[in-house]
Amino acid sequence: MKRETDYGYEIKAVYSPEDIPGFEYQKDLGDPGSFPYTRGYHYQGYRSRMWTQRMTAGLGSSADANKVLKKYREMGQRGGMCVISDRVFSDCIDPDHPLGRREAGVLGWPGCSLLEFEELMQDIPLTGQSITLLGSCAPTCLRLAYIVALAEKRGIDPREVHGSCIESPFENYFGQTDAQPFDLNLKLFLDASEYVIRNKIRMRGNICSQHIQESGGNNAQALAFELSMYKELCGLLVNERGLDFDDVALVPYELQTIGMRFFEEIAKVRALRRMWARMAKEHFKAKKDKSCQLLIAVHTSGRAMTYQQPLNNIARCAIQSLAGALAGCTALDNATMDNAYAEPSALAARMSLNTQHIVAVETGVTDVVDPLAGSYFVEHLTNKVEEEAYKILHKIDELGGMIAAIKKGYIQETLRQEANLKFREVENKERLIVGVNHLAIPAEEDFEIPIQEVHTADSEAIAKRMEEWKKTRDQPLLTQRLTQLHAEAGKGDRFNLMPAIIEAVKAYATAGEVMGVIRKGRGLSYDPFNLIECPFVLQ
Amino acid sequence: MSKGNGIKVIVSMIGLDGHTTGGEVVSMILRDAGFDVVYLGVNQTPKMIVEAAIQEDVDAIGISSHASNYSQIEELMDLVRKNDLSDVLVVCGGNIPRRQIERLTALGVAKVFTPGSAGSEIVEYLAANARRLVAQ
Repeated sequence: MKRETDYGYEIKAVYSPEDIPGFEYQKDLGDPGSFPYTRGYHYQGYRSRMWTQRMTAGLGSSADANKVLKKYREMGQRGGMCVISDRVFSDCIDPDHPLGRREAGVLGWPGCSLLEFEELMQDIPLTGQSITLLGSCAPTCLRLAYIVALAEKRGIDPREVHGSCIESPFENYFGQTDAQPFDLNLKLFLDASEYVIRNKIRMRGNICSQHIQESGGNNAQALAFELSMYKELCGLLVNERGLDFDDVALVPYELQTIGMRFFEEIAKVRALRRMWARMAKEHFKAKKDKSCQLLIAVHTSGRAMTYQQPLNNIARCAIQSLAGALAGCTALDNATMDNAYAEPSALAARMSLNTQHIVAVETGVTDVVDPLAGSYFVEHLTNKVEEEAYKILHKIDELGGMIAAIKKGYIQETLRQEANLKFREVENKERLIVGVNHLAIPAEEDFEIPIQEVHTADSEAIAKRMEEWKKTRDQPLLTQRLTQLHAEAGKGDRFNLMPAIIEAVKAYATAGEVMGVIRKGRGLSYDPFNLIECPFVLQ
Repeated sequence: MSKGNGIKVIVSMIGLDGHTTGGEVVSMILRDAGFDVVYLGVNQTPKMIVEAAIQEDVDAIGISSHASNYSQIEELMDLVRKNDLSDVLVVCGGNIPRRQIERLTALGVAKVFTPGSAGSEIVEYLAANARRLVAQ
């Protein structure tokens, strides 16, 4: 059995003052609320602001997802909501697309139009809670447009809505893929970010290392890739879009995975706070304190949720949630015990939310900020993961940055090797997983948990509804708006498409239609899968 | 070492499922064991997979599934049958619930490798059951 961190540092049995030589409290840690923010951003910690507790929702139709969101509110999830898209919306095709109709509503919310968003949000407030909509980079522009459009409909100033709907163009290089080309994803990310910054809309961008780790990346790689992505994207917003870094810094937030190696995960979060603070100040010359404070949301690892003996996952999730709280995360959405089977069942969802509540109110962990500070082991680990991460970050800098490193295949190859290493470690029992390669029991003896069933008939129903509904829209207005969008999409990367996208969305243009005309405007096919043609005559 | 013996296997995701890590890890394991792997990647419809199976004259098809889109696998089995490919071994891997495994097995999927399956298990099974060996 390995007694090493996942980036290969061998752990000793005992840690003492020599393991943090030259330790200076103010320089290395600072009080909570003081640079370099290793200990967190608020002196009162969770006493002044509890982490946002949320569960992801999204399965079946928008009406189904709406019911789940209401149920979660009853279960105590009031600080924020989190909805994840289905693959159809993520790819920006419509449910009535030949490929879309088979998978609409499977694995997430079929958010392909403003109508779907209205149904999702029926009787659910847009303000007073954080609104998080997740799912691929390109549909960022649509998610943002839905929020702006619905706010307007409800007579709310969009500046009163807060949350996150922007995702980074690097999303889909780590164990996932995307239907849109990188340059289009990047452009839409920059457009959406610029739009929220200039219009002072408090919608953030998820630039996450979660995918990196869920597909096998280690902690040092996660930090390095993460910071490299920030460096690149914030750099582009400053240099190409002419924005002030202190405004740009309000957009990104991190979504980090919390795995099972308890202390290492806590060290990872603390190291990230310090690394971002230093990058903001030294590289970007931040003038405001807030610019040095990266919001770090945490997702307990789905990868750690085993298929075998799923009840064990309750214990795993509890340990990970505790780690997240001790690390001082700003939001926590935890995976559910049935993660290896399906979208969360009501039982599993309640279990995971309760786990957060138990950590929050029963353990006393929230009474003290960064309680592990000063531990020789934890400080050593924090230093160590940071040190290893900087090595990798410098390597990426040498390659020309994140985009260049991806073009050269360095990132993908690194992760491929790491994923294989992790697989072999489990095979060889260098890493033990109870129920999987250690103390496994025959499947027949396992406790059967309720699983949320996927009904394929639902996809077709969503598809048919969209087909019929499309015909009822104001066609001349729709055509005019899409024509405008198409024309603007041909004006080059620097021309911000958000205003035209919002206008099209207000006329109930769908994801497939919006992305389709943008693609055409850029010389691509309307349909990324080349199965359908543009149904509009664009002047 | 060459258990794979040049046996030709498709490894593919299906439908809009974009989760590639499992398929990539298995491809590497199979290649190391001497199989001839045809890695199709993502955005493969059931029709495209069957066409590739015919074109490449494969001995086995392995579907890596992490997106609950089982209807796609069901459609694949339908096309396998319709195209007279029933002697081609079809296996799946991924986080597939037991009830789905039963359904897929009933439709002709030979084996479903659930998370935690050992690499050697996949190698042994394919080596023993892929079409070429059976024909001998």
